[in-house]
Amino acid sequence: MSGMIFFEIAKRNIRIHMLRSSLAMLGIIIGVVAIASMGILGNSMVLAVSDSLRTVGDSVIVTPHVGGTTHGFGGGTGGGSSSLSISEQDYQQIKRVSAPNVAIPVLQTSDRMKLGVGTDDIVAPIYGLNPDDVPDLLKLKEGGYSRGNSGCLVGSKFADDHKIKVGTRIAIGTDGTKGTLRVTGIIEERGMAFDVSTDSAVVATKDWFDTAYNRNDYDKVVVKVKNLDDLPTVKTAIEKQMNKRDTIVDVMDTRKTMETIFQAFGQITTFVTAIGGISMIVAGVSILNIMMMSVTERIKEIGIMRSIGAQKKEVMWMFLYEALILGIAGSLIGGVLSLLGGYAISSMMLQTTKYLFVPSSLVNIVYGVSFGIVVCLICGIYPAWRAANLNPIDALRHE
Amino acid sequence: MVLLLKKEEVTFPMDEQAVMSFRDVVKVYPLPAGDVTALDGVTFLVDRGEFISIMGPSGSGKSTLLNLMGCLDTPTSGDIFISGTRIGDMTDAELTNLRRDRIGFIFQYFNLFPLLNAIENVTFPMMLKSGKNVDTKKAHDVLHAVQLEEQFYSHTPTELSGGQQQRVAVARALINDPDILLCDEPTGNLDSKTGAGIMDLMTELNRNGTTIIMVTHDPNIAKYSNRTIRIADGRIVE
Repeated sequence: MSGMIFFEIAKRNIRIHMLRSSLAMLGIIIGVVAIASMGILGNSMVLAVSDSLRTVGDSVIVTPHVGGTTHGFGGGTGGGSSSLSISEQDYQQIKRVSAPNVAIPVLQTSDRMKLGVGTDDIVAPIYGLNPDDVPDLLKLKEGGYSRGNSGCLVGSKFADDHKIKVGTRIAIGTDGTKGTLRVTGIIEERGMAFDVSTDSAVVATKDWFDTAYNRNDYDKVVVKVKNLDDLPTVKTAIEKQMNKRDTIVDVMDTRKTMETIFQAFGQITTFVTAIGGISMIVAGVSILNIMMMSVTERIKEIGIMRSIGAQKKEVMWMFLYEALILGIAGSLIGGVLSLLGGYAISSMMLQTTKYLFVPSSLVNIVYGVSFGIVVCLICGIYPAWRAANLNPIDALRHE
Repeated sequence: MVLLLKKEEVTFPMDEQAVMSFRDVVKVYPLPAGDVTALDGVTFLVDRGEFISIMGPSGSGKSTLLNLMGCLDTPTSGDIFISGTRIGDMTDAELTNLRRDRIGFIFQYFNLFPLLNAIENVTFPMMLKSGKNVDTKKAHDVLHAVQLEEQFYSHTPTELSGGQQQRVAVARALINDPDILLCDEPTGNLDSKTGAGIMDLMTELNRNGTTIIMVTHDPNIAKYSNRTIRIADGRIVE
């Protein structure tokens, strides 16, 4: 078709103005890389957070209401990090309304501890859990669950950082005043969590914790919900039961919270990608600029074409081809570089690239490339229209 | 009679030989300072196979006449018929098709496409007409007919001399077998020897049946034609 000759002319015009065309293409490449890389980073962040929060997406967390009345509360007496707590009586009520789901009471504090002779004291979080509840909550990568009060579990990061193995003894409290615990197992990495964040913590038995810190209450209750669809029901049941007269507990549906977090991440990703989009708009303006230059330089040529029988639409397509070639070439190069950009940015910011080659990340490259092509096409329309509608007589006279 | 006219419009005497007729053509350019009448009641007829030169001083209306003959413009009043088709009411697309199929243009400054080589320049109007890639054999034949050596067929305009460029331009104008060849000072940018060569080529084409209308300032070039129309102040004076 005659379009082929106009495509060929567009191609050759780009080739003879290689520097100018390359600079315009560079703008598109940067725009695509900005959009796609930011999209990939945002998606990778969501996936990374999703992965680390996945284990706690099945829980309802009950904590004392901050700023509430003291009804039904025991004071935090043993150096706990909170001045409020959940009493045994409250726990039993939570357990009853949550049934048949498991309600796990959790004690937590942080304290000094010494890991061996001659080492400096460190401060780390300590959890107190019923030994029977531990298998429901934590998985071990090494050793076994501690049954007796002198045993404890440690998080994998804590173990790695302090070179702790099964059998290592930890003296808790300043100068070991709270007693010495022997590590019986190392907990699998869990990441950030709403229930218990054990990666850098020590997990002791509830009885040991009660004795060491003189506690007879709890800092929170974690309800593990078997059927995820029951999460809202369980949450509502606990709230109804516990907050009849006054608000004494805060109840958090972790899945709902995760959804809110992901929504926030999604908004951040959209915002960052939109910033990338601005660079694409700037690139589009440069395409518009060089297309206008191209039209101005070739007014006489357009006049000759029109005089020997080229239709307006054929002249228009010649310039649209030019914009499309720049757009497609720039966008495809940008798409390839986005992979490298996404790889680099993920490595730097997330320390992993495992979220790069998943469809939800790669689709950002498709978005970037498509946006690049569409922007170029749109920016080529006005110059092409202007070229097509030049008066052939005036165009022929143009010097 | 080949004219596609309504009966009441056929008031101008034309025979089957006519490829172009102007009937009381007026062209007025409205300008802020007042209307300018570039052509004022021009009437003439061009028979098939004629070689006509149009002469006149600057501002006489030659360019306007050429634009109207080339279907690049339409008259303010009066009628123009090209190959039996009245151009006054034609749309831009129809005028463009008429230019493509019926008229060949030769310009003073050759006006070849700088990005295309000689063969591509010549086949360009063929592609416009056929809407597809074309066989270059006809382009080779026409370039051979205008006496351009084959070694230059793949050269771009900047690699050709003025005379060679004008030969390519003539070949481009002839490729779609037009009814009329319109030439605007075809030798105006060539030395006298090369110009004479181009005019010999035109004469040869005319001898073979091509209708040629040529605008020129040069009386020596006008001598190649067999009729001269002189124009002054927008009117035909001779």
